[in-house]
Amino acid sequence: MGVRKKTLDFLDLAFKLLVAMVVLVFVLYPFVAVFGKALYRNGRLNFSEFLFLKGELFLVKNSIVSATLTAFLSTLFALSIGLMTFFASSRQRKIIMFILLLTMVSPPFIGSLTYIELFGRNGLITKQILKLSINPYGLWGIVSVQTLGFTSLNAVLLMGYLDAFDNTMIESARSLKANTTSILLDIVIPIIRPAIAVSFLLSFIRSMADFSSPMIIGGAYNTLATEAYLSIIAKGNSPRASAMSIILFIPSILVFLVYTYFSKQEQRASKSSRDTKGELKKTGLYYAIMVLAFFFILWVIIQYSAIFLAAFTDKYKGDTYFTFENIINSIPYLKDSFIRSILYSIIAGILSSLIGLILSYYSYIKNIKYMRVLDFISNMPYIVPGTFFGLGYIFAFNKWPLELTGTGLIVILNLIFRQIPMSIRTIQNSMTQIEKATLNSAKDLGAHSLDILKDVVFPMTYSGLFLSFSNAFISSMTTIGSIIFLVYPSKKLATLVLFDLVSSGKYKLASVLSVVIIIICLSVSLLSYRILNRGRENVS
Amino acid sequence: MNKKILLIILLIFSMVIYTACTKEDTKVDIPPVGDVGESIDDDAQVGDTQEKLDFNGMTMNVVTTSEKYVELFDAFAAEVNAKVEFLSMSSGEVIARIEAEGGKPMADLWFGGGVDAFMAAKESGLLEQYRPIEIDKVDSRFVDQDGYWSSKGLTVVGFLINEELLGEKNLPIPSTWAEIADPIYKDEIIMANPAISGTNYGAVKGILDMMGEDKGWEYLSKLNDNIPFYGKRGKDPEEKTVAGEFAIGIIPADKGSFDVAEKNNLSVVYPEDGIAWVPEGVAIFKGGDGVDIAKAFIDYMLRDENQKILSELDGKDSAQMIKDGVSGYDLGLPKERLIDQDISTFGSMREEILNKWEELTKGK
Repeated sequence: MGVRKKTLDFLDLAFKLLVAMVVLVFVLYPFVAVFGKALYRNGRLNFSEFLFLKGELFLVKNSIVSATLTAFLSTLFALSIGLMTFFASSRQRKIIMFILLLTMVSPPFIGSLTYIELFGRNGLITKQILKLSINPYGLWGIVSVQTLGFTSLNAVLLMGYLDAFDNTMIESARSLKANTTSILLDIVIPIIRPAIAVSFLLSFIRSMADFSSPMIIGGAYNTLATEAYLSIIAKGNSPRASAMSIILFIPSILVFLVYTYFSKQEQRASKSSRDTKGELKKTGLYYAIMVLAFFFILWVIIQYSAIFLAAFTDKYKGDTYFTFENIINSIPYLKDSFIRSILYSIIAGILSSLIGLILSYYSYIKNIKYMRVLDFISNMPYIVPGTFFGLGYIFAFNKWPLELTGTGLIVILNLIFRQIPMSIRTIQNSMTQIEKATLNSAKDLGAHSLDILKDVVFPMTYSGLFLSFSNAFISSMTTIGSIIFLVYPSKKLATLVLFDLVSSGKYKLASVLSVVIIIICLSVSLLSYRILNRGRENVS
Repeated sequence: MNKKILLIILLIFSMVIYTACTKEDTKVDIPPVGDVGESIDDDAQVGDTQEKLDFNGMTMNVVTTSEKYVELFDAFAAEVNAKVEFLSMSSGEVIARIEAEGGKPMADLWFGGGVDAFMAAKESGLLEQYRPIEIDKVDSRFVDQDGYWSSKGLTVVGFLINEELLGEKNLPIPSTWAEIADPIYKDEIIMANPAISGTNYGAVKGILDMMGEDKGWEYLSKLNDNIPFYGKRGKDPEEKTVAGEFAIGIIPADKGSFDVAEKNNLSVVYPEDGIAWVPEGVAIFKGGDGVDIAKAFIDYMLRDENQKILSELDGKDSAQMIKDGVSGYDLGLPKERLIDQDISTFGSMREEILNKWEELTKGK
């Protein structure tokens, strides 16, 4: 017993130290490196890179406006879908879950390009079918494309939360003759507020950091993230890009702080198995939810069908025809880069979930103060555009003792730590469902802190772990911004091949590759869903 | 349960170690046998170069504009027993990245991209000096006089025109720069930001050279009124004209664009009042492991038969080839209409031109 306790104590300490070390080295240090680049010139403090604020303050405004709209809309749609599944049968729920998992994958650029084909000035839907002439470029184009891209993840997040919902409350409300609208407004929504806040926060930050959608669909509506990216690719000016990214940081951090402040006040919801169905009368708000949910699902189905169709069609003299040629022509592109991508993404998915779990355990459940600081630091990679985090890695790891540039390791590390914030959020989201009493009783029974992690927390956060893994996997498979500066010619990843095809105008081949990426991501998410679900059944 | 976790951790570790190790495998530090690098320099006789080079499977890393050159790279790799790995990147990225990495080159060969970036890289001391064999058969306008860069061909600027869309709006089909500045084409023209697109920088520089500074800027300001926004990727004008979003796109005209035009019922027009052009640079980065292979590659590329392959891969008209006597496709490019451009100021005036252009087009 004594030896076991000693080993566990040692492991406990080792875990803490390890987590602290990796977060400081692989998150904080690259940030410091970029800040240094923006603020110091020739060893002196220099604010000249921030002068763009004078003439181009509209960039900041544009970013905030589009991020707020995107966050609002993608949360609203996600909430509708989440609530709709609350009323749905388990079969319908599975179908919706499948659609959501499928559409969680949005390969870079393809989303915006397809959107233009469908809803552009000459779009299939807008012009050919509805006979409208709509200019898709600008604020609403960006918001639409981002909403399409972010809603699915938000919905999955909310569904996970609703899954653990205590139905007895609804039952009693119903027996007290409460109507549907007030049950939803007075009971359901207040209880899932933390999840709503998370999805708003994540979408806001993601939108602030997204440079690729505004690049294609923004038209003359420029955002900070896009300008930062263009400062590098067009002007080779990384100090300016760093300064812009620092400015981007501020609104995101503010939103994040507001979120943390409110989430502290939230009580932990109770966990209960969901065997009774919340059969509710179909009135008022119910219809509003249905309309929103169906509208979104229809929209997303059209969008993804178009990508799949593009993979199987081609044009001659303006006439479209079916063909397998795109598939055959794309085979040479599906070589080692895809295998490398899958491998890297699996590693990133597993490690970011594990680190996220350990960190969340110490910071959220055990509430250790310095771990909360680390928790905060590890959220930073999410807040900045990928290119910023990529640059940070180059600045930080190009010399002894951590000379990693040119290796595959630097890419993997970047993928892992870019996904950590999301992992922490989803894992902590499912940790809200662990009751304090359970933890305390385990403690009273003499369980070691690590035993609790392994036997109580780990199994009870399965849904969070699943979401964390599949999200990290999917994001790693589809990310481009953060790794574009890190990848060497001999270490190409799938998205870079895709990027290449898109930028050389091989839209059809790019569609095939996107379809392949979607299928890979979907299979991996379904597989991990299965594995974790089986694990969950074994435990309970 | 414990065992399972242990197993997972072991698995992860082995994966990490595996990926970390693969790096070691590909990095070959063995220097090439003999004095390959020296022997093909100036003092060698042309006859010697026919001697077979052998780089013992070493790797040459390439940054290039597109994956389409793979055929040429593969053929070269087979001939000299080397491996060629490539990555496509924009010129700005290449420069930003090398600077961020502390001057350490991420590749050995830089293949393609507007020559202005090559001029900037030369100024920053990132390039290796080299005079390729047969370089004397290349027009001196396309080669750096100090031997830091040369070219692989010319990009020429044309219009991609969606006649159907113009027809719908009852607009005539334009064939000159002068015509597309007419207010009737308002909001129907798409051009890429010249800071991002080498082709469109070439267009701006060409217009300024052709019309003279004052007239040129006057013209650009009129053209600007017709353009609702500037594309943020080089491919934007082509894509958006193909999608029917715009009637006229300013594009690099080559076989690829003629093919795209045919597929989508569009047409490519060489402007009648002057065709702007940009040399596509080729250079060697200083200090990489594969400098010698890169030198051998440039020699290889300049051989007649490989120029021919290059012209096919690039889909270039004969008038776009830089070496005397090499012919490419016949795309009807009238050589005499190429604008008399001043390449020497192509790089040095870049910043000034782009700043002025940014001022002019603010908010687009």
